[in-house]
Amino acid sequence: MPGILPILGANARQAVDSLARARLRTALGLVGIMIGISSVIAMVSLGEIAKEQARRQFEALGTDVLLVRTLTTMAGSQAISLADAIGLAEAVPAVAEAAPRILGHGEFRHAGRKVGQGRVQGVTAAFASINRMSLQAGRFVSLLDADRHFCVVGAAVADAMRQGGARRIVGETLEVGDILFTVVGVLDPRPENYALPVQVEADQSVFVPIGAAGRVADNPAIELAVARSSAGVDYRAAVADIRSWFRGRSPDLQLDIITAKELIAQMEAQMQTFALLLGSVGSISLVVGGIGIMNIMLVSVAERRREIAIRRALGARRRDIQSQFLIESVILTLAGGLLGILLGLAATWAICRFTGWEFLISGMSVASGLGTAAAAGLFFGFQPARQAARLDPIAGLQAE
Amino acid sequence: MTAPRGALRLIDVRKSYRVGPVTTEVLRGVDLEIGAGDLVSIMGPSGSGKTTLMNIVGLLDRPSTGRHVLDGRDVSGLGDDALSRLRNAHVGFVFQAFHLLPRLTAAENVCVPLVYRGTGRRKALGRARAILERVGMGDRLEHRPDQLSGGQKQRVAIARALVGLPALLLADEPTGALDADTADETMGLLLELNAEQGVTVLIITHDPAVARCCTRRMRIDGGQLHEEDSRPPGSAGSTAPRRA
Ligand SMILES: Nc1ncnc2c1ncn2[C@@H]1O[C@H](COP(=O)(O)OP(=O)(O)OP(=O)(O)O)[C@@H](O)[C@H]1O
Ligand SMILES: [Mg+2]
Repeated sequence: MPGILPILGANARQAVDSLARARLRTALGLVGIMIGISSVIAMVSLGEIAKEQARRQFEALGTDVLLVRTLTTMAGSQAISLADAIGLAEAVPAVAEAAPRILGHGEFRHAGRKVGQGRVQGVTAAFASINRMSLQAGRFVSLLDADRHFCVVGAAVADAMRQGGARRIVGETLEVGDILFTVVGVLDPRPENYALPVQVEADQSVFVPIGAAGRVADNPAIELAVARSSAGVDYRAAVADIRSWFRGRSPDLQLDIITAKELIAQMEAQMQTFALLLGSVGSISLVVGGIGIMNIMLVSVAERRREIAIRRALGARRRDIQSQFLIESVILTLAGGLLGILLGLAATWAICRFTGWEFLISGMSVASGLGTAAAAGLFFGFQPARQAARLDPIAGLQAE
Repeated sequence: MTAPRGALRLIDVRKSYRVGPVTTEVLRGVDLEIGAGDLVSIMGPSGSGKTTLMNIVGLLDRPSTGRHVLDGRDVSGLGDDALSRLRNAHVGFVFQAFHLLPRLTAAENVCVPLVYRGTGRRKALGRARAILERVGMGDRLEHRPDQLSGGQKQRVAIARALVGLPALLLADEPTGALDADTADETMGLLLELNAEQGVTVLIITHDPAVARCCTRRMRIDGGQLHEEDSRPPGSAGSTAPRRA
């Protein structure tokens, strides 16, 4: 069997040349393929990105984090009591750690100068460990601080204090609202991960002992409790245990318990919505584009009957002609596919901006985009190529 | 290969076309025997079946009935792929309308038969250059057909027909689209190549002057082929109508 490679090489050169000549038609056919492939790219990319996002969530927080909130904490409604929130970990074996939070908001001043504005969070030591917060100096607040006016500042607040001339932040006095606090610790910078169940916003915040939070928060009720389930405990069992324990303590409490697993599931559902949308847009435009390509190829075959006949007279077999036209349509769809990859990555980037997921380029999506493009070229080019291969060379030679 | 290449026999070949309800028999029992290295002309009125016959001889078309023997091998029953391979290896076509591929350069046109037998591009281009030089087109390798004159196009076409070293060169009115001087030059080239390379040449023509250059002359009429007076081979070269 003589090498097939020279034939394929010659076919590819021929294909590029003849496509370049039919510019307008080619451009129109490319658009459909381009949109189709870009949807494939976006679909696969988002799948990968969501997976990566979930992986990071596992890494940052673990899947054992639970968020316990009361459904309403406005005046008159029930709130979680501090004793219950703290007692949760000891009373319920499925819970390893529990950290309640009282949330306020305020302006921070140091030496008469404003150094920030943000959350004032009344917490216990468990809050820092569950949320993986680390200190660059000093210590975190704890229950042992009771209602004393100690505070731990976020990295951005500390920076602002340094700009105002503070040397050692620990030991400085910070005005929170109009109450004076002594700084006992400084946090490391902590990038916020919006995929996590708890929004901490550590950098712009000031953390105070939960017992002192009542002095600075407008609503001194416990807003939420972050908990970590014990190792080896199924999160559903932990949720059930928490509910039954709180029911025993305060039967009227309306609890909302969110788990990391549920958040991941939510994200996956969101991802699947995109995938479905993109999948249908993608397959419709692939079909439309593919029919366009098929049309281009049929016109091309009709226009080149004489060329085909000459090639047959010179010894081309039917399969040589067929592969020539198949290569041509694959080159066409691959060109559309390359443009589609660019468009698809741009669309993915935009969706990531919208959802707050972190954009990344997945090699898998590029590969599947190119694969789909090539497959579309073969599929929609098949009929025209077959037609070309079956043309009668004698009629073609007589055609003028 | 020891058997002479380029010998062929047609035995009682018939070809009929059916258009609607009417069946027309174009070839009605053609017998033809051509030896390796023969230089044969076929004349006949328009529509007499010359091109039909050539297509059958060149394995592009199949007879309705009858046998076709090429160098002692019956090729009547071969399939399409086998016929294509044989055409590629065995036959070179030269057409009245040149039939060069318009988008390819002269050299690339000449490469096409080699590409279909799997020759690499570089090697094929080398062979193409050599044969284009032989037909006097060595300085037009990169020209496209629309940049060539009629005579030049036909030289490229002859080069393409011969690049694969076929045993059989089939020319259907090769000078039909050329002026008298160019026609003479083209015929001269075909005669030279026949003498030089021993390739069997079959020329279809309307021009008695072209026919006179050939060692064997045939006429087709009424669907049948008759040989006219034959001259002994060997006296052909001296009568080449080459005008210097
Ligand atoms: N595909 C076909 N279908 C029907 N009839 C055909 C077909 N091809 C050729 N014929 C008929 O066969 C006859 C011979 O045609 P052919 O082309 O062989 O003639 P020719 O001798 O080459 O003529 P010319 O000198 O004009 O080229 C013509 O009458 C033509 O109408
Ligand atoms: Mg004819």
